This record gives sequence, C-alpha cells and structure tokens, in this order.
Amino acid sequence: MSVRTVLLLAILPTIFAPLAFSDVSFTGYGSIIAGQTLGTVDDPLNPGQKRDQILTADFYDVGQYDNEFSFTPESIFALQATADIGEDLRITAQLVAKGVDDFEPEFDWFYFTYQASENLTLMAGRRNLPMYYYSEFSEVGYAYPWMRPPSNLYWWQITQFNSLQAMYDFEMGDYSSTLTFFHGNERSEDNVEMKFYDELFGGTAESVDELWTDITGINWSVSGDNFDVRFVYFQNDRDRDTIQPDGSIDPFDPFSQTFVGFGGKVDMYPFTFLFDMNIVYYDDVHKTEFPTYLLSVVYNYEKFQPYIVYSKANQERTTGAGKSKDLEEHHILGVGVRYNLFSKASIKIQYDDFIDEGEESTGWAYHGDSQTLTIGLDFIFN
Amino acid sequence: MKKSLLGLMSAFVIISICIVPATVHAEVAIIVHPSNTNSLNSSEISRIFLGKKRSFPDGSEAIAVDQKEGSPSRNSFVTNVLKKSGQQMKAYWAQLLFTGKGRPPKEVGEDGDVKRLISQNPALIGYIDSSKADDSVKVVHKF
Repeated sequence: MSVRTVLLLAILPTIFAPLAFSDVSFTGYGSIIAGQTLGTVDDPLNPGQKRDQILTADFYDVGQYDNEFSFTPESIFALQATADIGEDLRITAQLVAKGVDDFEPEFDWFYFTYQASENLTLMAGRRNLPMYYYSEFSEVGYAYPWMRPPSNLYWWQITQFNSLQAMYDFEMGDYSSTLTFFHGNERSEDNVEMKFYDELFGGTAESVDELWTDITGINWSVSGDNFDVRFVYFQNDRDRDTIQPDGSIDPFDPFSQTFVGFGGKVDMYPFTFLFDMNIVYYDDVHKTEFPTYLLSVVYNYEKFQPYIVYSKANQERTTGAGKSKDLEEHHILGVGVRYNLFSKASIKIQYDDFIDEGEESTGWAYHGDSQTLTIGLDFIFN
Repeated sequence: MKKSLLGLMSAFVIISICIVPATVHAEVAIIVHPSNTNSLNSSEISRIFLGKKRSFPDGSEAIAVDQKEGSPSRNSFVTNVLKKSGQQMKAYWAQLLFTGKGRPPKEVGEDGDVKRLISQNPALIGYIDSSKADDSVKVVHKF
C-alpha cells in the first residue's frame, strides 16, 4: 500500500468521526470484466516477429488484454463516502481499487462541494478532468451502455486534477443548462502510461513525471426530455520529466494545448444515439492536432440494449519539417449487448475490432490490429 | 391433420403475441403540503425530481421523495411524467451520484407513506395514485 494511501486512510476516520452524527452515506460501483484478444499479429515494432494481439482497454493505467483470458485489465471496485456538514457543505471521497493495480485501493477522488446558492455550486479538490463526455464517470460502467468508453479516445496520460470548479445551473426555456468553470493542475509522478511508452520504444527511464498545469476551461451542458449535450473548451500547459536511472532529466520543450469538444446523447425511442467529437491542438513545434470522434447507436428493447460503437482517433503534424498525416491513427468498431439483470446490475458482452491505421515505417503503428472479446458485470449500490 | 394443427399453432402464436400484457396506467397525482400555494407545470415537476431544481417557483425549498422501486405509482410516474425508462433513470442517477453532482430522491415507501410524509412537511413533493389523494395533501398536477 502506498504511503499516501496509508496516510489518507489514517486521516479519513479523524475527518469523518466527528461527523458521525451528520449525514454520512456510503455508495459504490464496480465492474468485474474479463476477456482476451483472439489471435496474433505481426509485431509492428519488430518486423518479422509475431506477438499476441494486444488491446489497450485502459490507456491511463495501461490495462491490456492479450491472448490470455484475464480479469485484471479492467476490473474495478469503488467505494464513495459522502458526509454532509450542515446544509450546504459536503465532503466526498472515492476509494478505488483496480485490477491493473493488484486491487490496491487508492483515493482517486477527494473534494468538497459547497452549495453557494440555489443555482451556484462550488467544488474544490481532486476529481476527474472533464475532457470527453464520459470522462467524469468513465469508470462507472453501469452508467453507459458499452463495456468501456472507447479506449482509443480516452487515451490520455492524465485523467484527474486538483481543481476549483464553479457550476451554474439555469434554464433555457424548456431546457436545463449548466455552465461549469474549472481551473486546476496535475503532476502525475511515475506516470504509468508514459513509462510504458518509454519502455516500448527502447527507453531506459526510471520514471516519467507528466505535468499538466494551469488547466483552465469550461463545460456547457444543455438537456431536455430526450437529449443531453455538452460543449467543452479548455487549455493547459504541458511539461514532462523523463528521469533516467542516474537522476538526470531528459530535455523536453514545454508547450500548451487546447481541447475542444461537443458530445452527448439523443433518445429517439427505441434508439439512443451517442456521439462525441473532439480535437486537441498542441502549440508545439509541429502544431500537432488530435481529431477524434465516436458514434454509437443503441437499440433499447426491454432489458436488452444491443449496440454498435465506432471510434476514430487521429494525429497530424500540421507544420514544419515534421509535417505529416502518417502518425498515430486507429479506429475501433465495437458491437455488443447490455442486459439489465436486475436493479443496479447489468451484464455486457462486447466484441471489438481494433484497426491500427498508422504507418508502420514511422513507428506510430505500435498497437497493431486486434480482435477482442470481453464480458462484464457492472453494479452500483446506494 | 398436420396442416390444421400447424394452422392452430400459428394462430395460437399470433394471438399470444397480440395479447400484450396490459400495462395499467395508474393515474398519478403530484402532491405537496396543503399550505403550499405554488402551481407547477409538468416541466417544473420533472426538473425537481431530476435534481435540476431545488426550489418551488416562490423560492421555498423543494425536496422530492420517491416511492420504492417497483411500485405501480413509481413506474407510472417515471414513464409518464419524467418520460424515461427505469433503466435510463438508473443510469442518470449513477452518473450524477458518482460525479458528485446530485443524489437521487429518498425512497420512502408507497402511496400511504408518501401521503403521510407530505402532509407533515411543506418542503416535500411526491406522487401517489390519484385515487388515494385526500384533504391531507394538495394535488398540483395529475397525469
């Protein structure tokens, strides 16, 4: 158990104990997911050699499936505790244990919520960064139809930040609207995803620290009886310390990035349409762009929800000597069924066909194609 | 003999498919404390029960109470007032609960329990089978 977890577990009772007489509630969610890839592929980084197909189902924690049937890449259990302090202040903490971390529990979320007025809510603390439509609840499988939000879109090495947020609720005619402003930072020490890439491409780093600072932006969501859509815009500074065994740090040119997106869902019974269109702009030497999108249709029939989901990720260097469209590019076509078992639990089975469209000679086609079958049980309790 | 048996079986199958289990649409009454003078349209009622609004039009606090899952009044309310399926509601609340943006209304039992609680607390709003409404509560809408 990490030192940080031990300290937080020690502190938590001292915070919650005095509140024993106020409204403390425990809720939770989890997924038990197992699967494997179905074949082998020519290793794009070692021409002439074959390896298992690999699907990276969780980029942030590098949860991957290969030919060995496994429960660890995506299984997760989370416990959420909330304590109301008076009428307007609430503390929320989420303890999360993931298979990919040997189920070692970690405090992933810890934040205060203050109801400043009828329409204004303030939050301070550690939360998921609201990038894509499902980012803030990407691990609550029960809340979306697929096995996972398409992993090739949810591919960033930072998913959380320490932040201040202000949410303003208002009405637009018959529709409800929320405007959220957020500002925060994240220093991800010993970042799992960046260390993975370093090793994959022959690096010798001891660890990689990923820094996203001055993360500042907005979410604007609008919902009606049968739709919910959200617009996102934020900017942040980027830096990275790749630390070698001798303690030296590789040179890195900091830059800034801009994230823009529009996504949501529309119910047209018996169908539900889900979409998310996003683009990230780097203000780096290449003026790199990452356009991504997902489209999905779900058919709702009593307890069954069969679905198709298509997700595409692309990368382009738009200027300078390295100008190119042949970089990282892939799409996934997923088909599956969700069955709503009983209240608060569902089972899903999903088949994913991952096509790596990268140019092999550039080294960007490092995923390789894969076909994956996963089956899972999602649950919540409250 | 075979043909008539086949015909009989086909007729049986067709008739079985056509006899859809009758879903009883229980007329639902939205109720508040008798001292509550607010009038509410269906959109405002929806917003309160979906956690998008925390007050009545006059600014006083509004707290929605739910019936327990499976109750006929709740099924009717979710379908006809919130215009969602049971599954959509669960996914909706899971999303809000685990992003810290809302909590589902407390489940307080069935028609009788809801009526009793609402008759005692001016901040509450709930729903019951409209045939159960009486002078102890005020009906603001019927569906």
